[in-house]
Amino acid sequence: MKLPSSTNLGEEDVTASNLGHRNLVEAELVASNAWLIRVRWMAGIGVLFSTWIVQNILNLQAPFAILYSIGASILLYNLIFYIVEQRLTRSTAPSPSFARQAMWQVGLDWLAMTLLIHYSGGIESPAIFYFIFHIIIASIFFAPRIAFGFALLACGLVTGISLLEYLGILPHEAIHGYLEQPLYQNNLYLVGVLIFFSSSGLIAAYLASTIIERLRQREEEVVTLSERLQRATKRLQAVNESARIVGSTLDLSQVLNRLVQTTAEAMGVQACSIRLIDKTGQRLEPVAIYGLSQEYLNKGPVDAIINPLAREVLSGKTVNIPDAPSSPLIQYPEEAQKEGIRSMLSAPLIGKSGPLGILRSYALEPNRFIGDDEQFLAAIAAQGSIAIDNALAYQAIEELDSAKSQFVRIVTHELRSPVSVALSLLRTMQGGYAGEVSGQQQELISRALRRLEFLHKLIDDLLDLAAGKTEVKPDEEFELIELGEVLHQVVRRYEVSAQEKGIKIDLHCTTGAEGMHVKATREGLDRTLNNLLSNAVKYTLPGGLVSVTLTEINSEAQVIIEDTGIGIPEESLGHLFEEFYRAPNAKALENEGTGLGLTIVKDTLIRFGGRITVTSKLNEGSTFTLFLPLETLHGNKPGR
Amino acid sequence: MSHKRILLIDDDPDLRLAIRLPLESAGYAVVEARNVSEARAAVKEVRPDLIILDVMMDTTTAGFQFALDLHSPDAASEFRVHRQTPIIMLTAIHSTTPLRFSPDEDYLPVQAFIEKPVEPEALLAKVHELLTDRES
Repeated sequence: MKLPSSTNLGEEDVTASNLGHRNLVEAELVASNAWLIRVRWMAGIGVLFSTWIVQNILNLQAPFAILYSIGASILLYNLIFYIVEQRLTRSTAPSPSFARQAMWQVGLDWLAMTLLIHYSGGIESPAIFYFIFHIIIASIFFAPRIAFGFALLACGLVTGISLLEYLGILPHEAIHGYLEQPLYQNNLYLVGVLIFFSSSGLIAAYLASTIIERLRQREEEVVTLSERLQRATKRLQAVNESARIVGSTLDLSQVLNRLVQTTAEAMGVQACSIRLIDKTGQRLEPVAIYGLSQEYLNKGPVDAIINPLAREVLSGKTVNIPDAPSSPLIQYPEEAQKEGIRSMLSAPLIGKSGPLGILRSYALEPNRFIGDDEQFLAAIAAQGSIAIDNALAYQAIEELDSAKSQFVRIVTHELRSPVSVALSLLRTMQGGYAGEVSGQQQELISRALRRLEFLHKLIDDLLDLAAGKTEVKPDEEFELIELGEVLHQVVRRYEVSAQEKGIKIDLHCTTGAEGMHVKATREGLDRTLNNLLSNAVKYTLPGGLVSVTLTEINSEAQVIIEDTGIGIPEESLGHLFEEFYRAPNAKALENEGTGLGLTIVKDTLIRFGGRITVTSKLNEGSTFTLFLPLETLHGNKPGR
Repeated sequence: MSHKRILLIDDDPDLRLAIRLPLESAGYAVVEARNVSEARAAVKEVRPDLIILDVMMDTTTAGFQFALDLHSPDAASEFRVHRQTPIIMLTAIHSTTPLRFSPDEDYLPVQAFIEKPVEPEALLAKVHELLTDRES
């Protein structure tokens, strides 16, 4: 059940002050106190100054000693209030201290005012209407009823003094010379002044309290609005933050832990947790916890099927429990009580394939979750569900990929050995070591050997490919290698075969290329360059040119391997680095080829932090450009 | 014909056959052993002039261990008479396997490596070279 919004306000005020934040209404009280103290300095000085004028300039007679002491007393107690107020402000004391001080201030002011009136002529006193100011001040500080009480008290005090003086019970103190003859015993004057004074006081109290009341209402509205705005902003930030968290990483436990913390902070509650259904589908296991004790977590198993609250939430509902220890839905009410948990709000985590678990907020106050809390938690839960789905999917892909590579490794190792032995046997036979081999037999053996050799190469390539994926070597295993040196070796390797085929190989290193170092493995680098160069020679027709250039661009080493070969059809370019893909013209020229070479090249370069690009024109040639981050000899990247 | 004796140690009978035939046709006497323990006995019995040893048999390092034992500099070694017997190691270790060796590494007491699948001509050339070296 939702509470009326005014009650919300009250609760939030309490929460806010509990948290030590001084809200606007309190701030106003503090400011008013300070203002009153400032005004009183002037009032005290005013009393002293006017007494002095009456005495020295007007040369009238009055109980000056008493009037001076009233002025001095006002200044004295104001000094005390000033000191107390300074201390209260510094100590961030709660509002009751300020309210108490306000009461004292008004009380003493009224005493001083009453004495001032009495000693300056009672009903004849020119200061009598100053009481109106005090009534207005009281209306500012106190609720209308109290303000009216003060107004009536003022009337009572003035009437009391006047009557006591009229009856002669209290001596009449007056400023002699102010009036030609005393009026305090003039019936008509007495009644007239009292009626006008009282009505003025009550009207002033009414006007002041009405205006103040209206102002206060507005102010409270502003306070409420600004608090709501703050809350909304905070939640918006939290939803934003959760979306960012969900997108930032695929590490599930990290995502969920940050999600519970963000949720608890945004809702301003004690704790938050995520429980996920385990693999058996029976239990809800805590996977991310914020603000709960280990003892509470160890309370016992939470069954996804039996636990009534879990069942309801997992069916897709957001469930609000305003008083946890007494709710029939709670499986462990005693433990909740012990933990101090009074209210709970639970939202379902629903993935693509059904319920995943529960996101739950816990608060120490009963009835804590109200208003848009449910929608907020549901929104966070929706984000969480996406994160869990993504992470699970990613995890599954990773496992699958690793299993695939592992499988390829095992299978190829097993395959390699028999193929290798078969090759050895056939070569022995071909060599005539097992007796004479006829021409046709020789031919058959050669064909079998060719097939087996291809198979052997394929297995080796598969091993390379699988190794690149399963044995991701940590960075430390890479060494600093001079790229030019490896490139020279590989180029030299192909010089003879290229020459035999009538192809020219050009190696060109730009200035500075000599000392270029990259972080890699020698073997991986060799394999990569070897692969690209062997392709260039293989797919370039006699009379062609293969040119290799080593250069540096933007702190990257660049190796450009350009040929005037058969080129790559445009529709094949996009598939070139796919496993087992071979361009149709390459297949036509060279029947044998595994289609794994470029995949291995690409994978290897990625491991070294590099990349490869290709451009080509059919029948004109291809250019492969590979990029590798440059390293200085100290292992740092050169300055950018 | 000198009838030099060669001890061939490999757990795969087909590979042993593929290696034995060229060796025999070149006039060498070949004795086979299926594993390291058979090889240990055969070495003492046959006193081979050359040993061809598969790198991976019972365990990935069994072949290496045997080669180390044979060429041990220890004066009390049971194989001290074979300290000078050349060893050709058959390797099938793929380049991506963690264990990688090349003949120039000092601590390996092996004179040559032959990659599987075996190329008979290359094998014979290597054997001939090692045995001639020894005589000279």
